[in-house]
Amino acid sequence: MNTMSNKFSLADSTVNSIVQVEKITSGQKARRFLADLGVLEGVKLRILKNDVGPILIEVKATRVAIGRGIAQKIEVTT
Amino acid sequence: MRRSRFNQGKRRYKRKFRGSKPRGSKPYSGKPHHGKSFATEDTNHTIEHRIAFLGNPNVGKSSIFNILTGSHQHVGNWPGKTVEKKEGHFLLSDEYFSLIDLPGAYSLSAHSEEELITRQYVVEERPDLVCAIVDATRLERTSYIALQALELTDNIALIVNMMDLAEKENIQIDKHKLEKLLGIPILLVSAFDNSSIIRIKKFLYDALHTEKYTFRPAYLLYSQKLETMINSVSRQIENREILRDYPTRWLSIKVLEADKWVISKLEEEYVLDDIFNKIEKLKKSVNFDPADEIPKRKYRALKDIVKKSVIGIEDFKEKVSDKVDKVVMHKFWGYPILILIYVAFFLITFYASGPIINGLDYLLSYFSDIVRGWLVAVSSPTFLTSLIVDGILAGIGAVLLFIPIIIIFYILIAVMEDSGYLARSAYLMDIVLGKFGLQGTAFLSMVMGLGCNVTGILAARTIKSDRDRISMILTNSFIPCAATLGVVAFLTGIFFKTKPWFAALLMLILYALSFLLVFLSSMFFRLFLGKSDTMPLIIEIPEYRLPRIRNIFYLTWERAGIFIKKAGTFIFIASIVIWFVSNVPYGVSTEYSIAGYIGRGLAFITEPLFGFDWRMVIPLLFGIAAKEVVISALSILGLLTVAWTTPQIISFLVFQMTYAPCFATLAIIKSETKSWKMTAIGFFYPLIVTSLITAAVYHILLLFL
Repeated sequence: MNTMSNKFSLADSTVNSIVQVEKITSGQKARRFLADLGVLEGVKLRILKNDVGPILIEVKATRVAIGRGIAQKIEVTT
Repeated sequence: MRRSRFNQGKRRYKRKFRGSKPRGSKPYSGKPHHGKSFATEDTNHTIEHRIAFLGNPNVGKSSIFNILTGSHQHVGNWPGKTVEKKEGHFLLSDEYFSLIDLPGAYSLSAHSEEELITRQYVVEERPDLVCAIVDATRLERTSYIALQALELTDNIALIVNMMDLAEKENIQIDKHKLEKLLGIPILLVSAFDNSSIIRIKKFLYDALHTEKYTFRPAYLLYSQKLETMINSVSRQIENREILRDYPTRWLSIKVLEADKWVISKLEEEYVLDDIFNKIEKLKKSVNFDPADEIPKRKYRALKDIVKKSVIGIEDFKEKVSDKVDKVVMHKFWGYPILILIYVAFFLITFYASGPIINGLDYLLSYFSDIVRGWLVAVSSPTFLTSLIVDGILAGIGAVLLFIPIIIIFYILIAVMEDSGYLARSAYLMDIVLGKFGLQGTAFLSMVMGLGCNVTGILAARTIKSDRDRISMILTNSFIPCAATLGVVAFLTGIFFKTKPWFAALLMLILYALSFLLVFLSSMFFRLFLGKSDTMPLIIEIPEYRLPRIRNIFYLTWERAGIFIKKAGTFIFIASIVIWFVSNVPYGVSTEYSIAGYIGRGLAFITEPLFGFDWRMVIPLLFGIAAKEVVISALSILGLLTVAWTTPQIISFLVFQMTYAPCFATLAIIKSETKSWKMTAIGFFYPLIVTSLITAAVYHILLLFL
């Protein structure tokens, strides 16, 4: 088991930090759509806004807003 | 020979590729789609090439389509689908290039109708060339769909757009390297350069006349584990009877990606349980899901390609957009800015169109006076004169008078859309609408509805969840369109001339009430429409860009065009019908016309409920045909000069805001939902809800006033 505690959800990430996607535990459909927009395992994201409402990230030079519910299912590390 | 030149090129091209890719047993069915000639047998130089544009939203795909085709374009629907189909053409050295702008999509999976249409078109219609359009500043992400298309067809070229922006960011793309790596012809261009049109045309010409280019589309190899699986599926489905047009390898990949459409089609012929069992086993034992692995491999390949051919890409560089967004999308400041922008938007629409409408109105009445005078001079029967002047001309007038406000409204929407603000307002509103169970994309449909409900309902196409889409279609008629706004502004202006602040406040309350109805009704409909696929919000926020006049022109043209064609036709017909029912039997006063009888009949209900006498009922009745005619009906019936009681005025204003969709809106509800039941709900639901509210308001007011 991975005892490292540096894994957290995208919804808990801090603004301006750069994180790497470790695992996406959402349903197949949302996972595919995220992949279409470049959000998939191993990819680095920058958090542009994370206070209320959808989380705004930058991925592969594109800005993407991700609903909080789905962001909670995206595990990231710094 | 008529088709020789073209077909020769095609054959040569085909030979080059036969066997270059391990696709199905018969990669090309040899359907005589390409090189179709539409000229007569004698002329031997007119050849039709069919080119399909494919790409992500926000890469300038439609801009390129627009500059190439100009006015030679046609917007329709994909047969049986609620997705827009844009076709156009241009001519170059006597050859006819017919272009199709496939719907913007992020991938070629089958998650949305857009994606399904795109891949079906590419495979089943076999365009002579598929042209993928990507954004130079975001080459990796926007090329994902192109890489997928490479697995589907060999006839593919790539246009890398927005080179001007890439240069500003010091991104340099090695075109020859990229061409070599992808194996397809590539053009680097900025759609808004003056030379771009001819460069793109020439590029497409050269790509179709393969003498200049060699097509050897890159053949993406996955990991060994995946390749083994792909091959094993391929072997099983190799000799299939169905989906013969689709490459075997592509189908196998899609099976592994759990593509529902492909699987259900293949299952008509095969039992695929073995494969699924194998996948399940892999998922369990080694935590390996091909459905995740395939996109991952594609992106890895893309990253590699970009790394080898592009220099100057800086990861996570803070752009001007980001700085602006710190304020514009701020959790608090974002909202005053949003309100300010939208208030300005409505004030501009209203005040800029005012003088134009007044001028137009003057011209129209001047013109109809001339016609009336002329008709009287030739002693035409009064019946005919009235039909022509008060029926037909008034009908044309009602449509014409509405065009300026609609055009200005959609110009401003296009400015917001092209600049990138519209997507941001959808983001900000997602937070607010989320409380009512709606997504931010529903906001766009509401804003469009403020212009005309027809375009509002069409804008609901962008809503991903079916449930939200249906509920937005059904509730859109609660949103007061520009015509309703005209009536409200006019009536409050007349009745509360001495109290302008009260008039303004009343209008605000009425608008708030309308939106409240939209929100509450959506929540209400959700109870019935079930917990269907709730697609979580995932939207792309484009970078801020200076709005381009050309884009604004085309966007406005399309939407205002919908109004003029759809709503305009209905308004025109409705005006004539209204003339008919209020003038037959001819010669009697309105009270004893058909409309008068209906009005007096309905007044038995409306008088005690809302305080509407028969004369107040008639304009509302006409309003169901088209809201634009309410004011003129009021004035014809002499209602603007009689004294109304305050409860009557307010009750009338409340009722007319939301009571029913017009005919054009009903027609679009029918065509978008393809259901008579939904159309009936779309009509009766607002009528019942509004009646209840109005009756309550009226009787409460009677108690106090």
